[in-house]
Amino acid sequence: MTGRDDDRRLEELVDGIVVLSSGDLSNRLPVSPARDGIDAVTTGINLLAEELQSMYEDLEVRVAERTALLEAAKAELRRVINTDELTGLASRSLLQEKVAEAVAGAGTGRQPALILMDLDSFRLINDSLGHAAGDAVLRETALRLSAAAGPGHLIARLSGDEFAVLVADQDTESVLQTAARLGESLKDRIVAGGVAVALTAGTGVRLGEPGLRSEELIRDADIAMHEAKKRGRDTLLVFSAAMHEAAKQRVHQVAELRTALATDQLELEYQPIMDLRTGAIAGTEALIRWRHPALGLLGPDTFLDAADEAGLTVEIGHWVLRNAIAQTGRWKSGPGLPADFSTHINLSPADLHHVDLAPYVEGLLAQHGVEPRHISIEITETAIMRGGPEVAATMQSLNDLGVRIEIDDFGTGYSSISYLRTLPAAQAKIDKSLLDGLTTDRQQETFVAAILQLIHSAGLGAVAEGIEDREQANRLRQLNCEFGQGYFFSRPLPVADMTDLLADRDGAVA
Amino acid sequence: MPHEDRETQGGRDISSLDFDINGILRLQWARGVVIDAPNAQLAMDRVNELCGGRPTPLLIDMATTESVSRAARAVFAKHCDASAIALLGSSAVDRVLANFFLGVNSAPVPTRFFTNGEEAVRWLTSQGHDGA
Repeated sequence: MTGRDDDRRLEELVDGIVVLSSGDLSNRLPVSPARDGIDAVTTGINLLAEELQSMYEDLEVRVAERTALLEAAKAELRRVINTDELTGLASRSLLQEKVAEAVAGAGTGRQPALILMDLDSFRLINDSLGHAAGDAVLRETALRLSAAAGPGHLIARLSGDEFAVLVADQDTESVLQTAARLGESLKDRIVAGGVAVALTAGTGVRLGEPGLRSEELIRDADIAMHEAKKRGRDTLLVFSAAMHEAAKQRVHQVAELRTALATDQLELEYQPIMDLRTGAIAGTEALIRWRHPALGLLGPDTFLDAADEAGLTVEIGHWVLRNAIAQTGRWKSGPGLPADFSTHINLSPADLHHVDLAPYVEGLLAQHGVEPRHISIEITETAIMRGGPEVAATMQSLNDLGVRIEIDDFGTGYSSISYLRTLPAAQAKIDKSLLDGLTTDRQQETFVAAILQLIHSAGLGAVAEGIEDREQANRLRQLNCEFGQGYFFSRPLPVADMTDLLADRDGAVA
Repeated sequence: MPHEDRETQGGRDISSLDFDINGILRLQWARGVVIDAPNAQLAMDRVNELCGGRPTPLLIDMATTESVSRAARAVFAKHCDASAIALLGSSAVDRVLANFFLGVNSAPVPTRFFTNGEEAVRWLTSQGHDGA
């Protein structure tokens, strides 16, 4: 072969390589019958191209397989995100998506409405019958709501025992009928955990309006539902602008309350508790106040509901414990505490559900050098009765510490009398409502005497609150009530005044 | 029938397949053959048929092959009755083809490339076999 021929073949080889390098790996270069060096190079390049092409093809197949797997996983993930696993209803995220779609799709036409429902006392079912029974109730609820809503509406479970129904293309009357039907559907008894339970729900309805955004629809239905829950069982409320105003105020108050906690606007006043038999000071009840920068000194009834809604109850409870125990420690150092003196601290059901409450109190007592017998924890009768095993365990732990437990507001709930004997409590405080007519109504006196006898026969001491005059105090003493507090003895006092009182404890308060 | 087509095709692709006096099975491809998976498989089947399950040294004369596809190389990489394989070529092209096979595919039995037939036979004999 001539040199010119070789040049031509080399040029062809280069052209072939250019085609290959452009990405066309299917191109093969011709091999001449000469099978010489150029052919060997050409063959090598062909083989490498084939190898590379095959690797690419393998890779493409693998990428396609992985992509398919990824798509399947995404679809599964979407299904999981969009579905409530327990009931098979739509999830919160799907509801939000569908509400947004419905609002956008309605334009100026008939607007979608949203119904939110929260089962009444569902926690009791979970606590008393167990979670399996609770789950069975939720599944049955889902079935009933689906049947009652009828086709064409999206039904979702938002959390625990909260359900939502998105009603599209219905007039106001039909929406309200649907809402009523949903509530009625729950009332036939459901058998769960071997017990038949009848359900009711708090229901909030937000009727759609042109221009209302999807998040406003959800928010307003939620406000209406919470308002319905507050009014009691089996209540249905349709959202109104006034509700929104009230909710806004609460949100504002919650924000202020958070600031109050952070900037020391909360303080404690102390109301003396007297030993009715001796007239000596026996203790004091720590009462929380909020020194509001604009509104002045506020009592707990004006802000504790908002604190509860905002989940601040436990934080406030800990604040009270911290400050009241610290103050007791300071009093112990000076002017000193009477032997049987105790500072009474009110705790809410939420505080008592915290398993670490007893260790927390123990730490505070050690930190401030306070003996446990100088602290009494007041727990309302209702909190004890509704508290379940966690509250009972916390009470027992506190009692084991040596801290005294006092049943607050005794006589206002529906205590089981036999239960009274088994509680690890040292005292019961009879509610001030029982003192009405004590000195004027013979029957009321007999009634109070019986209650005191009941408390005593359960081995507890009795404290009467709300004593307003000497006559009441005398009568209670005659009825063997050991302790008392009220305006007759003293209003709640600032720390300095309470300190003075302890310093001058020989002097009678009243 | 497809089977017969393959037979005919394979018959054309293989120039000869016989034992020599040394008991070495010699496979000679037809001139200018393009070896792909089907005719590679057919050749392997023929070899196995002739070996009858006995490990046999195999000499493949590839001096006249045009090319060997990737799929065909994969067929040759499968275990067969050959106890050792000598690839006999003469040109630089043969060398590239053979070494590509040896380099990319791991041969199931001892396999080497030769440009000299006598050397190939010596090597195959030295690999040890029970004589066909």
